[in-house]
Amino acid sequence: MKIQFTEAQVALRDELRAYFGELMTPALQAECERDMGEGGGPLWREALARMGRDGWIGLGWPEEYGGRNLSPMEQFIFVEEVMRAGYPFPFLTTESVGPTLAEHGNAWMREEIVPKILRGELLVSIGYSEPDAGTDLAAVRTSAVREGDDWIINGQKMWTSLAHFCDYTWLAARTDPDAAKKHKGISMFLVPNSDPGWSCTPVHTLGGVRTNATFYDNIRVSDAHRVGELHGGWKLITSQLNRERLSLINFGPISELFNQVVHWARAEPGETGGTIAEQPWVQANLARSRALIECMKLIVYKQSWAMTEGTLAMADASAAKVFGSEGFIEVYRLLGEIVAERGLLRSRSPGAAEQAARIERLYRTASIITFGGGANEIQRDIISAAGLWMPRASR
Amino acid sequence: MDFGFSEIQHDLRGLARRILDDGVSASTLAAYDEFAAPRFDRALWQTLLDSGLSGIAVAEEHGGMGLGFMELGLFIEELGRSIAPVPVLAHCVAGMLPLQQFASAELQSRVLPAAARGDILLTGAFWSGSATPELRAQNTPEGLLLTGHCRAVPFVQQADWLLVPVQVAAGVAVALVPTGAVGVRSNALQMTHFEPHADVEFNNVLVPEADIVLASGGETLVAWTRERCTAAVCAQQLGAADCALRMAAGYTSERKQFGVPVATFQAVGHRMADCYIDVECLRLCTWQALSLLSEQRAATTEVQIAKIWAGDVGHRVSYACQHVHGGTGIDRDYPLWRYCLWLRFNEMTLGSSAAQGAALGQRLARGEGLFD
Repeated sequence: MKIQFTEAQVALRDELRAYFGELMTPALQAECERDMGEGGGPLWREALARMGRDGWIGLGWPEEYGGRNLSPMEQFIFVEEVMRAGYPFPFLTTESVGPTLAEHGNAWMREEIVPKILRGELLVSIGYSEPDAGTDLAAVRTSAVREGDDWIINGQKMWTSLAHFCDYTWLAARTDPDAAKKHKGISMFLVPNSDPGWSCTPVHTLGGVRTNATFYDNIRVSDAHRVGELHGGWKLITSQLNRERLSLINFGPISELFNQVVHWARAEPGETGGTIAEQPWVQANLARSRALIECMKLIVYKQSWAMTEGTLAMADASAAKVFGSEGFIEVYRLLGEIVAERGLLRSRSPGAAEQAARIERLYRTASIITFGGGANEIQRDIISAAGLWMPRASR
Repeated sequence: MDFGFSEIQHDLRGLARRILDDGVSASTLAAYDEFAAPRFDRALWQTLLDSGLSGIAVAEEHGGMGLGFMELGLFIEELGRSIAPVPVLAHCVAGMLPLQQFASAELQSRVLPAAARGDILLTGAFWSGSATPELRAQNTPEGLLLTGHCRAVPFVQQADWLLVPVQVAAGVAVALVPTGAVGVRSNALQMTHFEPHADVEFNNVLVPEADIVLASGGETLVAWTRERCTAAVCAQQLGAADCALRMAAGYTSERKQFGVPVATFQAVGHRMADCYIDVECLRLCTWQALSLLSEQRAATTEVQIAKIWAGDVGHRVSYACQHVHGGTGIDRDYPLWRYCLWLRFNEMTLGSSAAQGAALGQRLARGEGLFD
């Protein structure tokens, strides 16, 4: 038991912080701001490819994929720092789909797709939800029908975020409509978004973030695009979601935001004399936020450690997801109270202040991960069953 | 970054759990309910001394195991799990640790081996809400002359020696006082969790020079010790909260209503899931504080955060566990109720969540305690 970074890990963090300090040019920052923290622009692409060339994206990956063979903890430190720097890192591709492809994919995926992901040259969107299949994901109706050696895919997906600039969609499709249990008739495919039968329309959200509805119209792919076992997609979905849940809770940006709000409150005059930070209620909000973010940090570090040890428990991945997603909302509210009415001004408004405007936007986006990546109610079911051995809740 | 137990830590936890499982039960604890007897199981205490667990963090030259505060904290977590009636926090944390860190070699060799064997029982007055001592002392040619009082000292009526900070003209001094010294008088309190605490009055109590741990500069000792006492309370809270949670999860899995276990109602499962998350947060913050303190690293922020969680989690877990048990949770024939008393004590002692939050908030406002 030693809950501190090693000297090498501290040195890595410092090296990454310097690297991103240089990488995040004002022009790139402006482009990311324009794209609502989603990425996809030309400077963003160029920066991602540079991180790939410099060997950062695959830091914790085996050398056979072009990685550096360090542990998941070092990989996590990298993701934390890239996110802290304000770069919209495509962690779903690199941290959840990538590892699942490496584990379950065929030779083409392992030798072509995964190395391209680690070079920052290939992006994958996730095609699970449908208009009638959300939390009950096993109800997907998008179909893949065998025709000779190929598969013909038809259907519609919802909330296919980033799909408009991704290269492939990691797609859940029904391959056995007659399966006795609906989750046993699903297979996973890697579908090229460049196919003429693929299309998408934007869905705009409260937080300003764009997501998509995507359509699959008689898309023909070879059997090499199928991932893992036939009708065995559910296992891959849960494995990918476990990894996704961990990568959703990244404490880099929120700890940076916290520090900046403290600096701001220490400098900003309050209405009743002294600085804003001198007011007792402000200090109480800061302390609550600080204690909450500290736990977010420890929970994700423990999980990175557990992944290194190969002991990651399902209940703990769900606990991290619930605590982190609800914690973000709480912290945005607490810090939002400190910046007060300034936190109602959008970033381009006259009088907007940088941190306050960030809180204005973050507060609008924070609900996404309480239901995305598996609704928190389902996560709590998993925790009581897998963590406390309580009999499963009836649904 | 290592969240796993070393082989020694694993073995020590196992040893502690075996001894406490054997030595503590609802019936042994019932002997102390409502102050029927001072809550101190001397036979169990002797077993813990003989096993070496009480001397985990004492140097081998003084008869201890020579391990760190991390190992002591993990032992205390097990004490919390069993709510054992033994003076480990008083003797090991508030007594032996500061002596080992700050006392002269002569005083250490006079007191620590005897304390590690259990020939003498120590306690320390480091538990009050304020770090500034209420007790005052004057320098005289014969030594320090103490007058005043200190509040709510655990096991002081059972202890042989009391380690006590006192206000002197130059700041804070720390003295080791025999509890039977002339002029020392204690008044037993009735604490919510039945542990024996007492206020101590000092009426011109003379402490000879040999028993003065620090004649000045005792503020450092007080801060050092209070951080360790606070982390120890967090560890105790962690064990107690985890045990209460497991009890509630087990009970709701067995208890049937409407023909099904009540655990299968999502509202019940979710309340337990929230307790699981709470206890995990307390566990990680506590272990982090223990780990840093064990290496003598700065941990003021981490200890404050752990205590904030210890308070909040104790309160929430106590009420959630009582609630899902229904009347059984408060029935004195079922073991949960004593845990609720300890969860409350651990919540409030050495600063509630609100008080710790205020202290952390003040430090943040001074620009201290930010993220690296």
